[in-house]
Amino acid sequence: MSLAGFILRRVLIIVPTLWVIATLTFFLIRAAPGGPFQAERDIPAAAKEQLLHKYGLDQPLHRQYVHFLVNAARLDFGPSYKYPQRQVREIILEALPVSAELGGWALLLAILVGVPIGVIAAVRHNSTVDYASMGIALAGVSIPNFVLGPVLVLGLALGIYLLPPALWHGPESRVLPVLTLSTAYVAYVARLARGGMLEVLHQDYIRTARAKGLAEPVVVMKHAFRLGILPVVSYIGPAAARILMGSIVVESIFSVPGLGRYLVNAAFNRDYTLVLGEVLFYAGFLMVLNLAIDIAYTRLDPRVELA
Amino acid sequence: MAEQGLASEHPASLWSDAWKRLRRNRAAVFSGVFLAWISVTAALAPWLPGMRDPTAQDLKLAATPPSVTHWFGTDELGRDTFARVIHGGRISLMVGLVATLVSLIIGVSWGAVAGYRGGKTDEIMMRIVDILYSLPYIFLVILLLVFFSRSIIMLFVALGLVQWLTMARIVRGQVLSLKQQTFVEAARALGATDAAIIFRHIVPNTLGPVIVYTTLTVPAIILQEAFLSFLGLGVQPPDASWGTLVSDGARVLALFPWLVIFPGMALSLTLFCFNFLGDGLRDALDPHDRRDVA
Amino acid sequence: MRDPTRGLKLPAVLLSVAVVVCACAPAREAPVGASASRERWFGDTSPPAGNVFSFNLGAEPETYDPSLAAGQPDGRVARLLFEGLTREDPQTLEPLPGQAYRWDTSPDGRTYVFHLRPGIRWSDGRPVTASDFRWTWLRVLRPETASRYAGFLFQVVNAETFNNGTLRDENQVGLEAPDDSTFVVRLTSPVPYFLYLTQFYTCLPVPRWVVEKHGNRWTLPAHIVGNGAFTLDYWRQNNRFEFVKNPRYWDASSVRLDRIVAYSIDDLNTSFNLYKAGVVDWCPSGYFPSQFIPYVRPYADYRHGDYQAVYFYSICVTKPPLDNVMVRRALKCSVDRDAIANDLLKGSRRPWGNFAPSGYPGYDNPPGIVFDPVKARGYLAKAGYPGGKGFPKITILINTSEDHRRIAEAIQAMWKRELGIPVEIENQEWGSYLQSTTALKYDVARRSWIGDYLDPNTFLACYLSGDGNNRTGWSDPRYDAMIRAAAREMDPARRFETLRKAEMLLLDEGPVIPIYHYSTNELVKPYVRGIYQTPLDIHPLTRVWIDRDWQRRAASVAARQSKVAAPVEIR
Repeated sequence: MSLAGFILRRVLIIVPTLWVIATLTFFLIRAAPGGPFQAERDIPAAAKEQLLHKYGLDQPLHRQYVHFLVNAARLDFGPSYKYPQRQVREIILEALPVSAELGGWALLLAILVGVPIGVIAAVRHNSTVDYASMGIALAGVSIPNFVLGPVLVLGLALGIYLLPPALWHGPESRVLPVLTLSTAYVAYVARLARGGMLEVLHQDYIRTARAKGLAEPVVVMKHAFRLGILPVVSYIGPAAARILMGSIVVESIFSVPGLGRYLVNAAFNRDYTLVLGEVLFYAGFLMVLNLAIDIAYTRLDPRVELA
Repeated sequence: MAEQGLASEHPASLWSDAWKRLRRNRAAVFSGVFLAWISVTAALAPWLPGMRDPTAQDLKLAATPPSVTHWFGTDELGRDTFARVIHGGRISLMVGLVATLVSLIIGVSWGAVAGYRGGKTDEIMMRIVDILYSLPYIFLVILLLVFFSRSIIMLFVALGLVQWLTMARIVRGQVLSLKQQTFVEAARALGATDAAIIFRHIVPNTLGPVIVYTTLTVPAIILQEAFLSFLGLGVQPPDASWGTLVSDGARVLALFPWLVIFPGMALSLTLFCFNFLGDGLRDALDPHDRRDVA
Repeated sequence: MRDPTRGLKLPAVLLSVAVVVCACAPAREAPVGASASRERWFGDTSPPAGNVFSFNLGAEPETYDPSLAAGQPDGRVARLLFEGLTREDPQTLEPLPGQAYRWDTSPDGRTYVFHLRPGIRWSDGRPVTASDFRWTWLRVLRPETASRYAGFLFQVVNAETFNNGTLRDENQVGLEAPDDSTFVVRLTSPVPYFLYLTQFYTCLPVPRWVVEKHGNRWTLPAHIVGNGAFTLDYWRQNNRFEFVKNPRYWDASSVRLDRIVAYSIDDLNTSFNLYKAGVVDWCPSGYFPSQFIPYVRPYADYRHGDYQAVYFYSICVTKPPLDNVMVRRALKCSVDRDAIANDLLKGSRRPWGNFAPSGYPGYDNPPGIVFDPVKARGYLAKAGYPGGKGFPKITILINTSEDHRRIAEAIQAMWKRELGIPVEIENQEWGSYLQSTTALKYDVARRSWIGDYLDPNTFLACYLSGDGNNRTGWSDPRYDAMIRAAAREMDPARRFETLRKAEMLLLDEGPVIPIYHYSTNELVKPYVRGIYQTPLDIHPLTRVWIDRDWQRRAASVAARQSKVAAPVEIR
């Protein structure tokens, strides 16, 4: 099957999937109690009517749904209900580079730290080094972000004024949020790398390479690594998507204007349009990323074909 | 054929083999022992001698550091932190186990049926899994809890509902390879129904990866619950899980560090041990099969 | 021989570092200038590089269009960019001449004639005229605008009917602009606090031509035009606003700041940390965790005072047993407010048994509800539930917040202890909570109310029958009559007396259980001048300036105070 054919087939699956997600989210968020215009201070009845009319919320539900679908196809999600002076698309595009930077560095750090840990642990399987390195990695996933973040801030930003305690301003402000975010992913990457390497290291062809007299590091890095790293590669897709939208804790603690905060606040505020925009963005991004990863996979693993 | 014969003649050999491998992994053994100890303590918490009532408030003693009378200090309402941590363990472990059970039941059934039936059924069922996978997890959970924010039962369901997807995939993968085996053909020849074949013959053979994944799901769920507590959606008062204790304590870290140190250590150690044990089990049970996602 | 503990060394080092770090908290403060002055300051006290003032704005504003603004962050931004007919005195909040330099009031209090200053301009150079004010106020009242505070202008002739769509002709509304610098407002009845309303953000003028040209997007930095002391230079959502001095502002000569940066910070801890690190110069009230208050009290940064806001529990009176006034009285008298305010909240709030807050000039609060468990038990018995027997379970509804939860738990324990009744707590997130309280689907709910202007009416009017802010189903024609009579009363003493009686009725039979009186708790750096604590937590920032000489000044003040005739070095 050619590359183009493969991509085409995938796209044909992605589109209906997105449609289902859009529909599910559309009805789900509207079914939640409360609405976008409720507040502690009451709004006069006439004004409330006007607001609902302005946003088309007084129309029958199916009409609203069709209207939404038609616009979504053009990537137009309308204005945010909570911040009516901005379009949803604008908000997402503005927050995206921030989340991408935060997530990108965190994932990069996770890979740079996690892969060596996993490889070393696999090579020294069942030794103290194995336990110790996996121990360090697992420590990262055992300490919640909202504990690690404040501890780091307390130590490095307030105890000594080394780094800024928050805000996304300048290169020094990237350090603490990226550190906090990456610790959990270090663990996952290390575990996957270790698993992948262990499986490969027990294969026959590795034994053959060793029997041929090749030095161990050569065996590991030149022959085993390429296949052993595959589980990490296929993890990057969902990890990237999750890190992009799911970093609400780090974004809150360090006041980073990213996508995660918007999504969570939008759900709480019943900001229908922003929720829909972000959910669809996430789903679309995830699927496109998975497609890219699958293609990369085939380049790395000669046994796997585009199927 | 020969493999199958071995398994039926000495049905325990796979497991005793695994057990021997596990025993050699000291870290996993230690983790297992620690977890057993914590579970027993937590389960017996209300009846342990000298244990204070974790809900008893004494506003005059609010937020005092650790002392002889209060080993872990008191919180802002004057409640004994030591009692809260032990009782919190009960709640956290219960949430972890029950939600994992929920995800187990749904995931195993789903994956087994999809894998066994194959064809159209399989495609539809796994397509649904793909769709659910593409929804941002946080959003789903928030919505679920907003709809049903009242009970702890809903919390179990909400957490379990999000974890079953990977379980389903793993089980399906196992079933796909298992259903070619001759013992399945034999059962079919004997007239067993599909349901019986799936649940009585196939599923027990998938136990290996299922056990491993279960052990790894429990800490993930406990951590998710902590995260939800940070958002205010976790366990509700007067119950408190480690998650609630830790997220509340993290807010006043600068002033009352004991409120986060002790529950945090309990939480982290437990999660750590679960993870270590899970990894150890995986090594022991399927030494050559590592294709599952973390 | 290999060291078996090798793998454990690193974790141990990390752990001990973490422990040491934690043990060093509460954080390290540098008592600055301790020898020169006797005050200790919190955190980093080096002034910013330029005349730039930074503060925490709090949550991201929904909109800073003054006609639509509803929350405090919205209002803070709106007040920097626009100015109304009157403006607040930074210390007393009294109305001072703003865009209008003088005004005439008719003897019956129903007509105001405002005279605008000559030469006032918008930031794009166009003159500010009375028609701008007329157009803006009509815009607020227009139903399509859906302004939340339209009710503020309902005293204007025909305003209410215009707002609910019955009246279409806006020329019949009592607002006139006979010429460019005269603005006439005609009211149906005198409003004693009217001049406070003219400085409230809803009444700030907006530029018609910009709004008509850009619609919803007129407030973006590229388009926005204002008549206030600052203009909007930069805005990034969920991040920060940057304002620069407006050279066209009529009083620009007394504005001493070049730039203001307002950060949108959700997390209270983060806000506190930023103040400590010196990134923000002012942490307004409510923007750092309340548990920290007792610990920052010894520092000179800490300022506090009364805030016209009350924290109370609202009772839904539509279903038994809460429809029984005796039951309500029992609940009210069995809350130990002193314990909550002093022990639980460590004295950071005042226990309060009234509904209207204190400090309204001329208004004497009636005696408040007192903690009296014996009386409470008597009421409960009279209601038919002696000792709590047979009392159905009621639920306290709170929205997600640790503070609310702690107070709810304390009150749950009090009611259980004093009255023997079963109480549960239910936590809903904000949207669901609003829905439940508006739809009257609750038993007892936590609420707060913040005053908008300095008059008890802003509180007491909420409990008129059917008022949108009532949310309890309580309706008492005697109460309504008293509030309405007060609205028509010209003599201040008689008016306050009527309001006082109304409050007494509300406290005795009404659906409120007041708990504490808010206070403002803010942190201000030593080099910031011109910010004062005010009871409405409103801070006009036009007179703020950065005093780089603050240490020397503090030293000289201290020297003078200790009556030492020491020669003080000036320069």
